[in-house]
Amino acid sequence: MNIIVPIKQVPDLVEELEVDSSGKALDKEWLKFRINEFDDHALEEALLLKEDLGGTVTVIALDGDDVDKALYTAAAKGADKLIKVTGVDAELDNHKAAKALASVIKDMDYDLILTGVQAVDDLDGQLPVLLAEYLGLPHIEVVTGVKVDGNVATVQKEFSGGIVGEYEVDLPAVLGIQAARETPRYVPVAKVRRAMRSAEIEEVNATVDDASSALTVERMFKPETGGGAEFLTGSVDEIAAKIVELIKSKI
Amino acid sequence: MHEHEITREIFRNFPLWMQVVFYIVAFSSIGIFLFGAWKRIQKYRKGRPAGRFNKLPQRFFKVLGIMMTHATLRKNYTYVGLAHWMIFWGFVVLFIGTCIIAFDHDFLRFFGVHLLKGTFYIVFSLFMDVFGVLFIIGLLMMMVRRAKKPFNLNYARVDRPEGKYDRSGYIRDDKIFLWLLLFIAVTGFIIEAARIAADGFPEFEKWAPFGYAMAHLLDSTGQLNAIHMATWWVHGIAVLIFVAYIPYSKAMHILVDYANLMFADKTTAKRLPRVPAEKMDKEGMGYVKLEDFTWKELLDFDACTKCGRCHYVCPARTAGAPLSPRDVILDMRMYADQLSGTEEWVDKQVLVNGGKAKSIAGDVILPETLWSCTTCMACMEVCPVGIEHLTTIVNLRRALVDEGEMEDMLQDALANIGDYGNSFGKPERMRAKWTKDLDFKPKDARKEPVEYLWFVGDYASFDERIQELTRKVATILHRAGVDFGLLYEDERNAGNDVRRVGEEGLYEMLAEDNIAALKSAKFQKIFTTDPHSYNTIKNEYPDFGGEFEIYHYTELLLELIRQGKIRISDKLKGIRVTYHDPCYLGRYNGITEPPREIIRALGMELVEMPRNRSNSFCCGAGGGRIWMDDSGLKERPSENRIKEALSLGDIRYFIIACPKDFAMYSDAVKTSGNEGKIEVKDIIELIEEAMEGAEVTAEA
Repeated sequence: MNIIVPIKQVPDLVEELEVDSSGKALDKEWLKFRINEFDDHALEEALLLKEDLGGTVTVIALDGDDVDKALYTAAAKGADKLIKVTGVDAELDNHKAAKALASVIKDMDYDLILTGVQAVDDLDGQLPVLLAEYLGLPHIEVVTGVKVDGNVATVQKEFSGGIVGEYEVDLPAVLGIQAARETPRYVPVAKVRRAMRSAEIEEVNATVDDASSALTVERMFKPETGGGAEFLTGSVDEIAAKIVELIKSKI
Repeated sequence: MHEHEITREIFRNFPLWMQVVFYIVAFSSIGIFLFGAWKRIQKYRKGRPAGRFNKLPQRFFKVLGIMMTHATLRKNYTYVGLAHWMIFWGFVVLFIGTCIIAFDHDFLRFFGVHLLKGTFYIVFSLFMDVFGVLFIIGLLMMMVRRAKKPFNLNYARVDRPEGKYDRSGYIRDDKIFLWLLLFIAVTGFIIEAARIAADGFPEFEKWAPFGYAMAHLLDSTGQLNAIHMATWWVHGIAVLIFVAYIPYSKAMHILVDYANLMFADKTTAKRLPRVPAEKMDKEGMGYVKLEDFTWKELLDFDACTKCGRCHYVCPARTAGAPLSPRDVILDMRMYADQLSGTEEWVDKQVLVNGGKAKSIAGDVILPETLWSCTTCMACMEVCPVGIEHLTTIVNLRRALVDEGEMEDMLQDALANIGDYGNSFGKPERMRAKWTKDLDFKPKDARKEPVEYLWFVGDYASFDERIQELTRKVATILHRAGVDFGLLYEDERNAGNDVRRVGEEGLYEMLAEDNIAALKSAKFQKIFTTDPHSYNTIKNEYPDFGGEFEIYHYTELLLELIRQGKIRISDKLKGIRVTYHDPCYLGRYNGITEPPREIIRALGMELVEMPRNRSNSFCCGAGGGRIWMDDSGLKERPSENRIKEALSLGDIRYFIIACPKDFAMYSDAVKTSGNEGKIEVKDIIELIEEAMEGAEVTAEA
């Protein structure tokens, strides 16, 4: 059972976030970065599967802020192989990120790809889908439980309203993990330090066609407070008429 | 009554073959004894060095003093102390007497010297007789105590249900030990009495008054020589059985405990041993195999006499948690014995489905047992034989942390401390946010020199209930003209409890960061309100290159009151209060009087709780327990403590001098339904109240 876990570093939300002078990105000078919580769960689920079934866990990340630390921490937790993908700047662009990751993963030997269902920085949730698309694999999102039997995984997917669906999926597959079976494990500082000395990060250069990106960040800003709310009163017809008036006046 | 030389005959009326048989049995017995003792020594030699061989003469004589006075044994246990003193000295004198006989008969004889005669014999007789009686009285007192089934001697486990273990072996051995000694003592007197009677009551034998009196009882039997011969053999065999039995039973404490006390070092609790860098780099922090323990720790396991004092005082055990310090030691003994082939024949417990233990921290000692410890050190304080429970518990916790085996709450706290330097998960720059509501800005010790550097600590900095108290300390010190400053966001959690949780790598990081920050600041002395920070900065930072002079705020406040810089009105005069000693202040660091002197200076009537000073009862928050779930406890230690305070009668204030205590006891008053009956007050609140209206001198 060889599992690949793509992870990503995101800004630590404990810190106060500021937009930089370009108005299109966060001011990184005072920011701390940490592993995306969902990716941490994906890693935990991968480690649990490895403990049950044997095999290896490979953690892969695009180069970025504090990525080495996250990779070494993963090694300290039990990941066998660490890969850093360089040459691609794909911040907030999951199309590009997925292409870059797929270009590296496609030549690797694996049975399963587990990654966080989404990341707190873009709240996009597209990476597992796109990765599956570029690798030509089946995928399931919002996964809260994985069981593997031979070449088939039985997967629990969480729907809103507390409904859980159970799926069978042929391997290899991409799963977007919502939560691991157990809380992601604590790794003692000494183990991380040890991993920093002994574990190796393999750097792979990826080239991605820039045209693959269809997204540009126009503006980044804190939610603007409106000038208060006006309550429309009256019968349904009266209110509808007022709304039409309002829309007409704003166009 | 015929003339009789003042001595006694060894092997009286014995044919040669009997003497030969005796020597064969005696040497076999000694052989069995030596084998057992040697096996145990082999076991201790498996341990790592403990660095305890310095100052050997001082160590020896210190323990000699303890043995003479029974200082550790009679503390809080007068009856037991007295009984043991009599047994101990009875045993020692009878043992020395027996050695003199052997030396005289089996050695000096061949040089034509005979010691045991004349005046020497008379003195010898008197000593043996008197101490023999004391010996018997001591044994009978212990039997009476056991018959009353005291709590301390109840071997029921708190971590496993009845039926999952069998400790009848312990009880059997307690009986064998007492009855065998009593049998030896009584038969000894019978032999003496039979001989005196058979010899026609020689005058000089009156110096053995008890034997002499007993001789009258036997005189009428008319079978004196037969009684003498038969009892001699029974007595002799019993003694030789006892000798052989020592290293395989609870009698082992005779051999082990002098050494254990000699090499004991209570400071290991306040200054935990470091993990060797090489071990940390290659294997991990914790103890996972027998060879990881120091020889002193292995000796600790054998030193336990099951007196149950640690079991009795342990706040975890009291609260219904699955931890008894006694059982940690006994389980470790069982494990070490199984691996070393030193299993005791008689004195042992059996675990049902015990199986082969795979891990020490996990199988031999359950994780929930290890996590229950508050590291309050009460066990080490009361242990009469110098066992250091805490190093074993922390080193086993380290093994759990190595494996990431811990509850979620604790994991979050450690992760927060790793990420932000505080357990609250707040950004570093928020650390000094509490100063915002002050009407002055405390100096920044990183930028300007100050006399006192205030190491504030996590709870005083971040907990909203306690921030109010922190501001009071700041205001009062400011008004009293104390020149102090802060490290602001460069301060980290001091690490005292991180270390006791077993996260040594994180602790080292915190200690190094704090020491670097302290060294780059300009100050003369440190003070803190937090006894936990106080302990690790004072006792453990020096191991990491940080030597600082540090005071607890109660020491500083007392000094200011004495200097008249804080003037106290008699506003609080006569109020009945009690004071709770924080473990890390009182028991760990001996600071028990400054808070009391402040309370007296305020004119309040201080009523002591039964458990005070070094015998204080833990609030339950130490050793990282504040970051763990305590909902499974039958009664929180803090609630138990509030009840103790209420039992004193009408007490207005429950005074504390530790930020964590304020949180713990404020909660406990509510959860135990005692709101309105007693109020938890930090000592600073009382000073503030008493200062009100009083003139405050602000000259620096």
